[in-house]
Amino acid sequence: MKMFKCAFRAASANAFKVNHGSLQQSVHTGGQLFAADKALLMKLRKSTGYTFINCKKALEMFDNDPAQAESWLHEQAQKEGWSKANKLEGRKAKEGLIGVFVGDAAAVMVEVNCETDFVARNDKFQQLVKDVTFATLDHHLQSRNQSKSGYVKNLLAGDELSRLRMGEGAALADSVALTIGRLGENMSVKRAVMVGVPAEWRIGSYVHGNVGSQQEVAMGRYGALVIFQGGKEGEQDMLGRKLGQHIVGEAPLSLGNMDDLPCGESETRLLPQTFLADPSRTVAEFLRGQQAKVLDFVRFQCGETSGKDQN
Amino acid sequence: MAALVGLRACFSAFQLSSPGLLHSSFKLCAVPLSRRTFAAEAKKTYSREKPHVNIGTIGHVDHGKTTLTAAITKVLADAGGANYKKYEDIDNAPEEKARGITINASHVEYTTSNRHYAHTDCPGHADYVKNMITGTAQMDGCIVVVAATDGQMPQTREHLLLARQIGVEHVVVFINKADAVEDKEMLDLVEIEIRELLTEFGYDGENTPVVIGSALCALENKQPELGVNAVLKLLEIVDSYVPLPKRELEKPFLLPIEGVYSIPGRGTVVTGTMERGIIKKGDDCEFVGHNRSFKSVVTGIEMFHKSLDRAEAGDNLGALVRGLKREDVRRGMVMCKPGSIMPHQKVKAQIYVLSKEEGGRHKPFVTNFMPVMFSLTWDMACRVTLPADKEMVMPGEDTSLTLTLRQPMVLEKGQRFTLRDGNRTIGTGLVTEILPVTDDDHCNWG
Repeated sequence: MKMFKCAFRAASANAFKVNHGSLQQSVHTGGQLFAADKALLMKLRKSTGYTFINCKKALEMFDNDPAQAESWLHEQAQKEGWSKANKLEGRKAKEGLIGVFVGDAAAVMVEVNCETDFVARNDKFQQLVKDVTFATLDHHLQSRNQSKSGYVKNLLAGDELSRLRMGEGAALADSVALTIGRLGENMSVKRAVMVGVPAEWRIGSYVHGNVGSQQEVAMGRYGALVIFQGGKEGEQDMLGRKLGQHIVGEAPLSLGNMDDLPCGESETRLLPQTFLADPSRTVAEFLRGQQAKVLDFVRFQCGETSGKDQN
Repeated sequence: MAALVGLRACFSAFQLSSPGLLHSSFKLCAVPLSRRTFAAEAKKTYSREKPHVNIGTIGHVDHGKTTLTAAITKVLADAGGANYKKYEDIDNAPEEKARGITINASHVEYTTSNRHYAHTDCPGHADYVKNMITGTAQMDGCIVVVAATDGQMPQTREHLLLARQIGVEHVVVFINKADAVEDKEMLDLVEIEIRELLTEFGYDGENTPVVIGSALCALENKQPELGVNAVLKLLEIVDSYVPLPKRELEKPFLLPIEGVYSIPGRGTVVTGTMERGIIKKGDDCEFVGHNRSFKSVVTGIEMFHKSLDRAEAGDNLGALVRGLKREDVRRGMVMCKPGSIMPHQKVKAQIYVLSKEEGGRHKPFVTNFMPVMFSLTWDMACRVTLPADKEMVMPGEDTSLTLTLRQPMVLEKGQRFTLRDGNRTIGTGLVTEILPVTDDDHCNWG
């Protein structure tokens, strides 16, 4: 009796598996072809990362030719990305990343949104942020060549950005759609700012909550660019970083004047604010000590309602 | 005073009998919670006949976590173990927004034949981390939902990373949407893949239970093999695979001291609410905290002016202690089973910093910031040291950090605390590691 009970328990524990196994068997009898197919399918799925259903479809279509299947998959992904992008269009995308790139006399800061912070941590999403950053930078450098002026600051909204092209000519919107297809979440390129400065000016930057695995572009949930003059030789990078950090932390709305008097905790002008890294001084006092002058700044916070910080 | 004690007793009683959902948030905002408590009591009494387990779902947004939750309640509703909640009804409860910390979560409860479950589902990584830190619902186990049509998504890695991070040891996989896959062989591949991934993240991928089914079928009463039966199978596995968490009663007793009174002719009595364990008349005890430590014996226990032989976690009691003088102990110390707990001065912790909307500061803080730490019944100034890769912490973020206390206090792994600065709560946290004190930590405290 006891033995019977044991056996019964084991059987019930495996009931589902067994059941499933028998289903599998019936498929197997269909032919040996599928065994090779299965290994290939697994390989294709691993190398491309496309969904199982699509990988299978591709293999069936091209008689198990992985090369052809793969190229078809890439093509299909673009199409599917678009249809998926349309499907997901209405969904809120408030998470995401700010990407910042600072080069010689030019800097770019972009915001790309997605739905959950899981995706913001993903390499593929970060690659997209990087692509957007460089596409914006290219655009900036091109337009700059035409008009060699002094200080340039250019804000771009989402739809203008989508029309930009990446190096090889693919539109940015296509690249976004492709990533949507891959990750299955709504995404959007929200805004970007480009800054170009004359030779003696400098651009400082700070990105908070740096998660990026990408080397060239710093990424996080907050970003700030600060344009300044002066500063002690060799310490300018550090100065720019400290100022950027202050701007991210204290979220000033306007620049103010060097002689403004601070008005308490709720001060929204940058210069009279208490300096974050040294609470005994205001920003203006700190800058005087460094013989530096802040000319302008931009602050992006991921997911904030647009227009709030565009001073 | 009596009224106050009564109120506390009422809170602590609730703390024990609630499904653990609201456990520690009451410190942050007692008002909405108490309102909620009374409202809940007016409706129905929670009967504690089955052990309670907290479980959560994680997975991609489109893979059917909510559908699965709806399906579970439907299947169990047929057996009388739940109220059927439609997909649309499972949403962020509006009262969540009135609470101290906004966690975008949906909570659903149901009962299987063996257990009572609280089921949590959050949309984002940050929400799960907040959930863990504030102790809203410590997840004892987790169901990873993967759609058979897609297989794991690139971000499934982040989901498992999260499960690791918040300390979920037991994971069960549900492969959803099996009805949408014509070829059963595909299901196998999805299963193989997810097992590989589990192993990669340090779970026992080989032996992790995997259930294949379709939550939609269960909801629509189609294909019972993939629908109702698969959901039942999943619940059966969760019942057996996720172990019961260790209950507070089984742990060595701990009484954080709230007050000390000397009663002429009898001796000195310490009062407080039992944090955990069971205490009996005649038990050895130890007093720890505020740089003091000594042992004695409990000679009497009283609750609401009635003497009792045995008190347990959640009881609000007074304990008469042999040979104790009033000046020997003070609020903030603890009475515990000898040797079960030690004072510490330096800990590593995971904290959530309240955003401005949640009542926190609007400013970030940096290393060397000095808030006051509140835990159990003590409070103590402490110094913050951020990890090397972090320069500052913004409101609304979670982070790990090191806290150095001015004086050693009773602290242990898993203990919850609140950080305050002036009259404002900065954040709430959880001790993750006890660190040894080095010479650098004895620097001046201004």
